[in-house]
Amino acid sequence: MHAIQQQFWSVREYLSPVLKESKFKEHGRITPEEFVAAGDFLTYKFPVWTWEKGDASKARDYLPADKQYLVTRGVPCLRRATSLVYTDADEEAERLLSFDDASGTGKEEDEWVETHAGRAPMAEGAANPGVIDDIPDADDEGTHGVSAGMQSLSLGGKAAEETPDLDEIPDMEEDDLEAGDEATAAPRSAPGVIDSSQVEVAKGNLLQVRTYDVMITYDKYYQTPRIWLLGYDENRTPLTPSQIFQDVSADHAFKTVTIEPFPHSASLQAASVHPCKHANVMKKVIERMNSTVVADQIAKTSGPLTPGAGKEKKKGWFGRRNTSGKETPLPQTPGEEDDVVEGMRVDFYLVVFLKFIASIVPTIEVDSTTAM
Amino acid sequence: MPIVQFTPLSSLVQPDFWHALTSLKIDVLKLSDASVAIRAAYTAGRTIRDRETGQEVPLGCELVVSGEAFTEEFQPPANAVAASGVFKNYNTIEDFKAADKTVLFNQVADEIWTSVKTNHDPSALNRFLLIAYADLKKYKYYYWFAFPAFTAKPAWTIASEWKPAHEELSEDAMRALHDALVKAPRAYWLVRIRAGKTEVAGVEEYEKFFEGVDPASQYISFLDPSALPQNPGWPLRNLLAYLRCLHPSTTSSLRVLCWRDTDLPASGSTWKSRLGLIEQGISENREERPSAVGWEKNAQGRLGPRVADLAPMMDPTRLADQAV
Repeated sequence: MHAIQQQFWSVREYLSPVLKESKFKEHGRITPEEFVAAGDFLTYKFPVWTWEKGDASKARDYLPADKQYLVTRGVPCLRRATSLVYTDADEEAERLLSFDDASGTGKEEDEWVETHAGRAPMAEGAANPGVIDDIPDADDEGTHGVSAGMQSLSLGGKAAEETPDLDEIPDMEEDDLEAGDEATAAPRSAPGVIDSSQVEVAKGNLLQVRTYDVMITYDKYYQTPRIWLLGYDENRTPLTPSQIFQDVSADHAFKTVTIEPFPHSASLQAASVHPCKHANVMKKVIERMNSTVVADQIAKTSGPLTPGAGKEKKKGWFGRRNTSGKETPLPQTPGEEDDVVEGMRVDFYLVVFLKFIASIVPTIEVDSTTAM
Repeated sequence: MPIVQFTPLSSLVQPDFWHALTSLKIDVLKLSDASVAIRAAYTAGRTIRDRETGQEVPLGCELVVSGEAFTEEFQPPANAVAASGVFKNYNTIEDFKAADKTVLFNQVADEIWTSVKTNHDPSALNRFLLIAYADLKKYKYYYWFAFPAFTAKPAWTIASEWKPAHEELSEDAMRALHDALVKAPRAYWLVRIRAGKTEVAGVEEYEKFFEGVDPASQYISFLDPSALPQNPGWPLRNLLAYLRCLHPSTTSSLRVLCWRDTDLPASGSTWKSRLGLIEQGISENREERPSAVGWEKNAQGRLGPRVADLAPMMDPTRLADQAV
């Protein structure tokens, strides 16, 4: 069933035309050219991201051969999203952002949860049914399936089965292989590494530092970027799907995050956030950001010329102008009076996109932009 | 005086590598279990600030093996340096268990020693060994890394503690080093500060480069994969063995710069590199190869192989199960 679905998706992606016209502000979708431009900006601004060419036989011809997808490796993840505990204080800190001021009818789909730094306050799962509509869902038991799945995540159960069975490791420990060495640093104790038997139950202050390789590809059908995750546990063993779901906020685990074949490799499988709602969310975020940027730009062009104004530092690069779009951005000279008010540039798309992804995987530090 | 303790390297094998191994095994190696050249890379140690507690959490001291490990034109990622190694894949689990690991390990250690002693070549100092058995039907990969490092007898000691490098080196010197290393990344190098100028050279130029330089302005340096404040990374051990072997008269006390600043410090943080003055007493034997250590421990902290179980990510039936 799943295989047929994947086949269908790949055919559908193959048949769908390449988006030519830029409309990212209208509907949140971008063209491959804009994806490349935004990727160039991201790799320039945040060198942890790099372009990859991937498997040559899987190259997409609408993207440059050496810029098929973006990758950043070893992204740390200190805690499990499932272990984030919610208290009343957290709920107060939680804030639903309504982007559509005119229709303040409380339609949940129009709202976006602003994640609190370090926390991921989430809306009640039931309050947000719109998210799962478009996902083919073969689970007839409805919520029962999800809760059963969640159960298996936390304590032992199925999850324990899926961790590599230690009994199957050949019995060949050879502690006498080398004599003790006084100059070898002892393995780090907590908080770095904890006993593997505790991995599934550990919570709170025990840190299980996982790392993730994060990839961003361009999805031609949905005309948005798409995020892919490959995880490793603190012993650098690849994570199983159910372990990866521990790092996905409860709203999205089992709904929007699935394991799919990675499009730029012949055989690799990775966890992916399904992009069917990306365009909608991105549109709203962009609209909101755009209005701030435009207001900012108007204020700047009409206001008195104060060179090196303090604002330039923080907000300036949201709307920094640049004619070619692909070149690395140059600081805007404060005196450029003939500047047309342009709003948010598409280069910034992926930076915004990462902020949105950070709300889905709250404990994975994909959003390096907060350091700015 | 406290003994200098080194953070061992640990292996991080990307899933692409197992995929590459699967096709290599099926299409090229077939039933051969001859040694194959393999490449890996490591970067400077990183820390991450825990947003809940504000603590700096050190990340592992990792050697990363990627899907391109078998390709001739392997390019280490940005800011990383390459390490080359020997890979041996066994056909059965019995062969894997029965392999004479001491012999294999000593072969690699001998290679490193020959390159030091005979060729004076520092490029082989970070060689490693990987033995594996791939159970292709069950998507399970048993593997064991070894990172041979020569032991020093007597051990290196450090007079005080490892301290932040920028306490001793000027901001200009740190920047000059950063610029030089971004331009030409390398695993090991020498630093001298002469007339206010910071200069960098390869380790093989030791004598010429340090001639007439005040010992207090001489530093030996390496890209340090460790992020622990008081423990330099594993690659330093072989660099010390190299210098001790080739330049015994001038290396009984060394200023070591553990370079961890591949990126300029972000606003609000400082340089991360560490610096220390380490010393070693007289050792008798300089001709024979020192003994070496470096088998990687498994997840239980014992000397034993690791297993990568990719069935959850590769087995079609398992994937179908979770895709509901």
